[in-house]
Amino acid sequence: MTGLAYLGALAVAIGGVAVVDRRFRLVLWHDARRAVVVVAVGVVLFLVWDLLGIALGVFQRGDSPAMTGVLLAPELPVEEVVFLTLLCYLTLVVYAGAVRMLGRGERG
Amino acid sequence: MTYPILAVAVLACVAVAAAVAVRRTPRERRPRGMAVLVTAVVMMALTAVFDNLMIGAGLFSYAEDLRSGWSVGLAPVEDFAYPVAAAVGLPVLWAAVGGRRQPGEGRGWAGARQVLLSSRPVSWINTAYPFAAAYLLVDQRLTPTLVVGTVFFLVPYNLLMYGLNDVVDHLSDQRNPRKGGVEGAVLAPGLHRATLWAAGLSCLPFVVALLVLGGPASGVALAVSLAAVVAYSAPGLRFKERPVLDSVTSSVHFVSPAVVGLLIAGGTVTATAATCLAAFFAWGMASHAFGAVQDVGPDRAAGIGSVATALGAATTVRLAAGLYLLAGLIMLLAPWPAQLAGLLVLPYLANVAPYLGVTDAEADRANAGWRRFLVLNQLTGFLLTLLILWVLLRRG
Repeated sequence: MTGLAYLGALAVAIGGVAVVDRRFRLVLWHDARRAVVVVAVGVVLFLVWDLLGIALGVFQRGDSPAMTGVLLAPELPVEEVVFLTLLCYLTLVVYAGAVRMLGRGERG
Repeated sequence: MTYPILAVAVLACVAVAAAVAVRRTPRERRPRGMAVLVTAVVMMALTAVFDNLMIGAGLFSYAEDLRSGWSVGLAPVEDFAYPVAAAVGLPVLWAAVGGRRQPGEGRGWAGARQVLLSSRPVSWINTAYPFAAAYLLVDQRLTPTLVVGTVFFLVPYNLLMYGLNDVVDHLSDQRNPRKGGVEGAVLAPGLHRATLWAAGLSCLPFVVALLVLGGPASGVALAVSLAAVVAYSAPGLRFKERPVLDSVTSSVHFVSPAVVGLLIAGGTVTATAATCLAAFFAWGMASHAFGAVQDVGPDRAAGIGSVATALGAATTVRLAAGLYLLAGLIMLLAPWPAQLAGLLVLPYLANVAPYLGVTDAEADRANAGWRRFLVLNQLTGFLLTLLILWVLLRRG
């Protein structure tokens, strides 16, 4: 069970971002197709960056008991894809939120 | 100093790509600079906190000699390139993908699906398999290079090859009843720009990665491969309309991934490798030539040249048969058991045999042969894989 701790934490984080997103209709609840496409493209690009770093010997996977140990590629745990999804989704939500808040400031 | 260089290089690529994309986006849809700045600050602050927590929890670590050594707590400063790249790149992507209320065709899931279909998913394996097979024959380890290269030759490479082809060929394809479906998608004009951008942007990170991961030899091979893909359809070059050169170029599309795979795995072009590549090349030319026969009618009507329009349907089929035979004979020069691969041309010879005397007027009959060819490739791939496994196991 501890092996799912990291994934669990990521799921909670993504869930939290989704709740904010839904409340203010920022990203996924604003334009689902765009959200999925942009996040998917972002995750793929970050994965290529990760793989490049792994191949150059910069990154090493840790031995933490909080991970499942399932690897997608050498040194690339499956949790990394979930983390990158959180990173991209959160960035979009923060950006959309900032646009909305700054826009309100201009009008007000 | 590897990690700082990597981080700076990626940020530079993101900055350039973002600048180009923003300039092409209408002013009112561009990302808001202030919002991007706020996002970057927020994401960097979160990174400072959580990166430290994650490193402290032992989720990952870094090679100490490859870092700059500067840190925020436990987190290398290079890690902050990730939130910055996200804060700049993702809003640009969001603006570039476009929204619901845009006029024109192809918006929504249907549009994205059309763009993906234009890469001919049926053909993905045809370019990824040669790369992976050649790579594994040299180095049987699962490496990031193998993964990056296989994924590249699976989708982005095909999106570039067929997407560019569909965009430029839009006019002739409209007059060809064969196009549309597994054999080719007719791309709505409203999707042309999206397809070209998707092809270019999807290829870019993979090509950069493969150039970094490989040496000069694989770099040159990759450059030749990409040049052949572009030259095939690009206006001005249009190799696909020059008799014989079209078959040569098309064969390069499928053989060059194997060359890249061989070289990037650290292999050299031995006599055996050269023999197999030459046979593969002859097979590729034969297959392309045969494929051109079915389109003789529509191509001539549209004023498009090909090996089939130049030589006539029957002669082209005979040329294809001759090249298949040549491929088989070349494999006789290979060592045992690779020689067995020569037998794999026999079904292809049988496949084109019914059309050796076909007239130009009824050349579209060859379409049935082309469909059989597509199925035959699956069987051949299976048998070839077994042969390759046998070769690898024999090596011990």
